[in-house]
Amino acid sequence: MIRQLYRVLGPEGSRPLNRLVILQSGAAVLQGVAFTLLVPVLKALLGTDPDDVWPWLAAFTGCVLVYAALQGAAVSGGFRVGSQLSRVLHRRMADQALRLPLGWFTAGRTAEFSRLAGQNVIQVMSTPAHLLRPFITSVLTPVTLVVATFFFDVRTALVLLACVPVLFAVQQASTALMRRLDLGRDAAIGESADRVLEYTRNQPVLRAFGRTAEGYGALDDALVAEARADRRLIVRGLPGLVSFTFATRLVFALLLALGVSWQLDGSLSVPTLLALLVLLVRLIDSVASAAEAGAGMRIARNTLERLGAVLDESPFPQPAEPKTPRDASVEFSGVGFRYDTGAADGASARPVLNDVTFRLPERSMTALVGPSGAGKTTVATLIARFRDATEGTVRIGGVDVREIAAVDLAAYVSLVFQDVYLFDGTIEENVRIAAPDAGPEELAEAAALSGLDRVIEELPDGWDTKVGEGGARLSGGQRQRVSIARALLKDAPVLVLDEATAALDQENEALFAEAVRTLAERKTLLVIAHRLSTVVHADQILVLEDGEITERGTHDELVTAGGTYASFWERRSRAHGWRLEAARS
Amino acid sequence: MKSRPPEAGPAPAAPDTAADRAGTPDNPPRPLRTLAAPVRGRLALAVGLQAATALAGVVPFIAVSRIAERLTTGSPADGDALWPLVALACSAGLVALVCGTAAGALAHIADNDLQLTLRRRLARHIGRLPLGRLTERGTGEVKQAVQDDVSALHTLFAHTLLDVISVLTAPVLILIYLLTVDWRLALVSVVPLVLGVFLFSRAMAGAAAQMAEFGAALGRISAAAVEFASGIAVFKSFGRGGKAHERFVRATEGFADFFSGWVRSTLLTSTAAILVVAPAVVLLLLTGLGAVFVTQDWMTGAELVPFLLLGPAVAAPMGVVGPRIQQIRAGQAAAVRITELLDAPTLPEPTTPVLPEGHHVSLRGVSFSYDGNTDALSGVDLDLAPGTVTALVGPSGSGKSTLASLLPRFHDATAGTVTLGGADLRDIPATELYRRVGFVLQDVRLLRASVADNIRLGRPDASHEEVQRCARAARIHDRIMALPDGYATELGTAVTFSGGEAQRLSIARALLADAPVLVLDEATAYADPHSEALIQDGLSALAAGRTLLVIAHRLSTIRSADRIVVLEDGRVTEQGRHDDLLAAGGRYAALWEAQRTAGPDETDGVPHHRSAPVGADRAADDIREGSAR
Repeated sequence: MIRQLYRVLGPEGSRPLNRLVILQSGAAVLQGVAFTLLVPVLKALLGTDPDDVWPWLAAFTGCVLVYAALQGAAVSGGFRVGSQLSRVLHRRMADQALRLPLGWFTAGRTAEFSRLAGQNVIQVMSTPAHLLRPFITSVLTPVTLVVATFFFDVRTALVLLACVPVLFAVQQASTALMRRLDLGRDAAIGESADRVLEYTRNQPVLRAFGRTAEGYGALDDALVAEARADRRLIVRGLPGLVSFTFATRLVFALLLALGVSWQLDGSLSVPTLLALLVLLVRLIDSVASAAEAGAGMRIARNTLERLGAVLDESPFPQPAEPKTPRDASVEFSGVGFRYDTGAADGASARPVLNDVTFRLPERSMTALVGPSGAGKTTVATLIARFRDATEGTVRIGGVDVREIAAVDLAAYVSLVFQDVYLFDGTIEENVRIAAPDAGPEELAEAAALSGLDRVIEELPDGWDTKVGEGGARLSGGQRQRVSIARALLKDAPVLVLDEATAALDQENEALFAEAVRTLAERKTLLVIAHRLSTVVHADQILVLEDGEITERGTHDELVTAGGTYASFWERRSRAHGWRLEAARS
Repeated sequence: MKSRPPEAGPAPAAPDTAADRAGTPDNPPRPLRTLAAPVRGRLALAVGLQAATALAGVVPFIAVSRIAERLTTGSPADGDALWPLVALACSAGLVALVCGTAAGALAHIADNDLQLTLRRRLARHIGRLPLGRLTERGTGEVKQAVQDDVSALHTLFAHTLLDVISVLTAPVLILIYLLTVDWRLALVSVVPLVLGVFLFSRAMAGAAAQMAEFGAALGRISAAAVEFASGIAVFKSFGRGGKAHERFVRATEGFADFFSGWVRSTLLTSTAAILVVAPAVVLLLLTGLGAVFVTQDWMTGAELVPFLLLGPAVAAPMGVVGPRIQQIRAGQAAAVRITELLDAPTLPEPTTPVLPEGHHVSLRGVSFSYDGNTDALSGVDLDLAPGTVTALVGPSGSGKSTLASLLPRFHDATAGTVTLGGADLRDIPATELYRRVGFVLQDVRLLRASVADNIRLGRPDASHEEVQRCARAARIHDRIMALPDGYATELGTAVTFSGGEAQRLSIARALLADAPVLVLDEATAYADPHSEALIQDGLSALAAGRTLLVIAHRLSTIRSADRIVVLEDGRVTEQGRHDDLLAAGGRYAALWEAQRTAGPDETDGVPHHRSAPVGADRAADDIREGSAR
């Protein structure tokens, strides 16, 4: 557990922890010495001349006082290191999240991450004060006591020497058993937590289909599975829990019986027997404090390990000598991408992108069209380096994105997705996140271009409107305009719009299509769009099918060519004749 | 046996146990007791067993003390006198072991049942809360109640309860025994306990307020962490110099500051409290005084032995119970939060359920407000005759979605009534309502379940043939068959659907559910142009023969609707058929005109413009610029 603590704390947190461990160890050894001094004290008091007790009592007193001083320092140190721990860990987790590539954040990992950074850090912050101290005491005090026993009765010491390792072994074995069981349970807890979130978030659809708690089996299954996993833990963990207590009682009984028989055959004096029994009680008490802390330690260790795993996850290799893009053009040469499905599957699946080559000149607009699943979004994410291409090179301004420092790359590329995440705050805060120091004119311009200005006008609280968790209080179209405004305010030279206007109503979409043309005059634009009103104006249209670029050219060229694009165009046009009506039979 | 979650309080705390056990006066509603009611019997039995364990645990030490007495009083030791005592010590230990194990197992199993019961109750309750309330609370807080708070109760019932019992029972028994050995020294042995209690209660002064703040801070961190992780893409793309995740950092820093402050203010007293009950310190006190007593011949050396064996145990459990107080407080706070959620008013279930007769939907004087101040809808009267199409038209934010959300009862009207087949929606049992009202909205939610189960959502017992039939009608069958496991493919893990595909799946879902009244967001029809025609086919299949309420975006789509309702600022400003409204020359006519000229793909007969779409569009722009600016 100490190792894991060092691991998650990193270099900056390790010094106070070193000091704490030394203090706690010193206190534990001194406690052992103090208990040992009870033996001569008691022997004197039980012997013929009780007045022999004073020098021993003085030594005992001195020892306890020093122990108390050390222990006091260790206790307060534990609390202090604990509160440092939460500070350091939260910061490290936040930093790490920002370093990890976005491709790392799958749905499961996102949930795990929020659990770790939220609850779990708080859970482990009590470790130094409440777990580390009992743990160190439970090891060092008994060791000191066993060594000391050799000075009084070698046989007893030898028995203890045999028993104490057994006690530790039993303690370890039961901890290991419980830990294994806990791990199995963690999966069940994770699943049920995910289901609870899913259930809560999807209330509208679940209700509309009459599937509230009674009807939504997946949630109940997950809850039952969690309860079952718990029950299994109780049943299987029982031997683990009981075995240690059983072992201590056994050791006590054994030494009591041996001591009494040695006393009866005259080989052990009465004062020594009684003093050793007092010592034994102290010894068992100390070892038991390990069991006391055992459950907490197990949890802490699991949590620390998971925290450590996330913290050790390697971010994308960053360039040793970062280069700066020469301009804002974007170039894909022979780019291929396939998901790493993990060796288990063997079949590394179909490539998502295959030999994709194109160039987005500076100050131009390119439209990327193609059926869903063709790999359009993957193209977008490769530009922003959410993932790295598995083949070929993605360049911005002539420089491989892998050679651009992450900070520069983030400043160079703005991405707007169809799924918009807004954080709980006002509209203005959500837009300003892109440029906290932006002046009112810049804000107004971004709002005007994105059409957010009309949203602001419609809302009674205007810029100060609270958007709710994830933006839930705004409509899809309103959310999208906030996210577009945000991206525009960031003012990166490369702007990628991935179906960014899908939720806009017609008027707003048309207005934005116009804004896009303005933007193309000063930015490199890649637009993945559904509506042809946007696409027709592109300087270049790329058609992506099954991960490959099958057609490229301007609208007129492609329509004339009579290929896939032309048939999209036709189907699209036909679709507009469609009317919704209730066919009365 | 499970998580012992945060023993996070800065200090082990005093067993101001009397107060806590009796239920502190400032906690009158006793949410803990109420929540634990279903397992109270088993918990009581566990408590009894635990008390027996404590008793049996003290007996071996008493036996050893008797042995000490036998050995030191005069005549040479006699095995016959000693062995029964050894046997007593051993068997008492065994009894303690058995009772303790039984108590632990019983408490855990009771708690295990309780957890499941509580989580199910919470889930059921969440399913009945008004949606607005859920949006307000946020999913983070719901998760905290269902997962973390229930786990905090586990700590309390399965661990803390028994610990507290042994901590209370054992010292009392020990003290009674020690009083019989030497009352003076026995009284002295209570001194560390008294001092400890005094110091702890000093350290814990105001702890209730602090714990509340602790819980609140924890909630904030949880919410901030969920938000941080969910919004990571935003933070990474926009966060310059780490400013973006400020809120998360602020929540954690705020917590750390609060916590450090709490620790600092109680550090001295809580450290002192731990020290006065430390075994070595207690033994120093007892040995020092004991030495005086023995040398003064006030007691024998043998009489000192039980004090050295048991003395530390009088006060030591306080060190153990310390963190338990935190757990009790955490448990109480958790119980309060759980109870709060369980007590949150649900959408009222009808007291006298009424079944709708027919499917005529009618809104009378309906108003709705999200925040109680501004009305999202006001005074809406509307009738949806069976088998007709009604289209809601209006600028975004005019209340179209809000109005539509009243039909599936995502919200209840704040004034006025919504009736279906003559019955007020609030009087229709939920299951009956959902059988009659279905919906396909733009924001499609797929569940992490197989494709087939996603389609079956509204009718879990539907046969595979029915599922397939609906999937075909919704034009999603082919796509499903292309998935690795076809209909059995789990969604949301390896496979994700595009927007258009998800929409077709939701159409299949609605087809299978087969509700006669359908709320439909027409935007679904053109979210994904590549499957647009497919979606339209699906919607046409779905619309057939139903009462439709359509949230309209593209007016051309709904121009043959039986009734078009124009909403502005939550009020119905016009209604009628397309031609009538055009002729009236009002708001609808203006919207129609704007849309007709909005873009090359929005007017009928686009192919004719094929040769010169750009020019045509420019002209449209000019018109709009002229009118809008």
